[in-house]
Amino acid sequence: MSILELKKVQKIFGSGRTKVEAMKKTDFEAEKGELIAVIGPSGSGKSTFLSLAGGLQTPTSGEVMINGTALADLAEKKRAKLRLKEIGFVLQASNLVPYLNVGQQMQLLNKVKKGNMRKEEAETLYQTLGIEHLLHHFPKDLSGGEKQRVAIAKALYTNPSIILADEPTASLDSDRAFEVMNMLKEITKEKQKATIVVTHDTRLIDDCDKVYKMIDGKLELQEKIHHMI
Amino acid sequence: MFLAWNEIKNNKLRFLLVTGVLVLISYLVFFLSGLANGLEQLNREAVDKWEADGIILTEEADLRLQQSILSADDFDGNGVDEYTELTQLSAIASNGTEKENVYIFAVKEDSFIMPAVTEGNVFMDAGEVIADDTLKENGFAIGDELSLSSTDETLEIVGFTDKARFNAAPVLFTDRNTLETLQYGETVEEADDAVNAFVIRTDNLGRVETDEALQVVDTEIFIKNLPGYTEQNLTLTWMIYFLFIISAVVLAIFLYVLTIQKISIFGVMKAQGISSGYLARSVIGQTFLLSLAGVWIGVVLAVVTGLFLPAAVPVAFNYIEMLIYGIVLIAVSVIGAFISVQTIVRIDPLKAIGG
Repeated sequence: MSILELKKVQKIFGSGRTKVEAMKKTDFEAEKGELIAVIGPSGSGKSTFLSLAGGLQTPTSGEVMINGTALADLAEKKRAKLRLKEIGFVLQASNLVPYLNVGQQMQLLNKVKKGNMRKEEAETLYQTLGIEHLLHHFPKDLSGGEKQRVAIAKALYTNPSIILADEPTASLDSDRAFEVMNMLKEITKEKQKATIVVTHDTRLIDDCDKVYKMIDGKLELQEKIHHMI
Repeated sequence: MFLAWNEIKNNKLRFLLVTGVLVLISYLVFFLSGLANGLEQLNREAVDKWEADGIILTEEADLRLQQSILSADDFDGNGVDEYTELTQLSAIASNGTEKENVYIFAVKEDSFIMPAVTEGNVFMDAGEVIADDTLKENGFAIGDELSLSSTDETLEIVGFTDKARFNAAPVLFTDRNTLETLQYGETVEEADDAVNAFVIRTDNLGRVETDEALQVVDTEIFIKNLPGYTEQNLTLTWMIYFLFIISAVVLAIFLYVLTIQKISIFGVMKAQGISSGYLARSVIGQTFLLSLAGVWIGVVLAVVTGLFLPAAVPVAFNYIEMLIYGIVLIAVSVIGAFISVQTIVRIDPLKAIGG
């Protein structure tokens, strides 16, 4: 069974003359252990796709299923709980709380949810991501790459089954960007997560299992680009 | 509290400012409450000391002790547990160096309104008085001969008692013969027998039967009608109530601005699935911590100030009242935080995803 499934999902903003179909009827599936990239120019509806998949907004029609649960059936409170349990967000602006140090970012998650990583597990994760020496640093003292790696650690810390990453490599130089992508791939395979990366950076999609292209609200499965070259 | 406390630790200046405002407001509240309380005492101490339930005055006196003139046999004790007569005179008393506005109360030596002597002796002979001990602080002493503004007669202080101020002036206690001598001279007829009021103790004021020309007044109502008492009290109480509102509004604005600044980070946390409830509790907890600290520092400052003030400033702290005011201050601050809570609940987690 797919861990994340979108069935004929459509999203329309506004009505009448101002009506915008941000996402046309779309079917999408993600399995455990799959690294999927969604590419496309800005304004093509990538973020809409991500927010629908993550249960941050409800589709105009169609159904989003996470681990077999239909999101439409849940109230916002329950959806928030489901997000906390099943989804790890890696967000563009780096999802760090400015007044908590790196260690405390994880502690906060312990305050709101049970069943997070155990201490040893977390320490291995920090080492994998190369942030074990940053635990007492505050976000303002971290470089862009470090912040992004901490954000990934934070997304993984709650043991989610799905990772949704919104431009995880924005504001990183190429080397760092590849590094981050490799890390996401490793973790996806090793921990059997379904990882969806939304990006406009086509350099990063070589390692992905599937690549979708978003054009004007329509999601299309792409042939692997390196095959085409 | 985890979020709340860490935020405070990492934004010390910001939260120091908020707490500072609260400290100033609570300081003013506690100081005003001390002043209100002190002024109250100044007016009513002597009456409170009676532990009486009511007072009987003439109907036409309009609740003013001075204006009520009745005869000592106008009331026969019908329907009361205990009663005694009270005669009063106000005057300026001088011991040669100090002058003071005083009330002279004539009381029966065996009555329940006879004050306990804290220093010296009870009045025995004509012309002897027990004085309120604020006179002692103002330079009067046992053995002082007092000349009075309205008569050539003199009085002698033979003892002091505590807590006996009436309508902002210290009270001298004596017997009725002495007072009548002051009022009417040596030639007074024994039968004259005029008194100002009867002080009564009873379980039920409604059961007390008097002549039609007399009026039974609850002690509390009598106090409220002392000249200037209610006006003074209302003014200060109003200021205190206004400060409650001001503190709620100031804190609400402060927290609201802080919350607006954090909308994006709250959005991110909500996207991750951290509940609005958790974030709201964090803001409420923060407000509670800040207002608790502010109020606590305010209390300490007010009490310390009280210690260093000259005796002329009638500040008297009522700690139970301060506790209540402190709780009210914290409560209104927390209520002010609810505006921010509303904002948090309305934040759309979608904000976390840029575009």
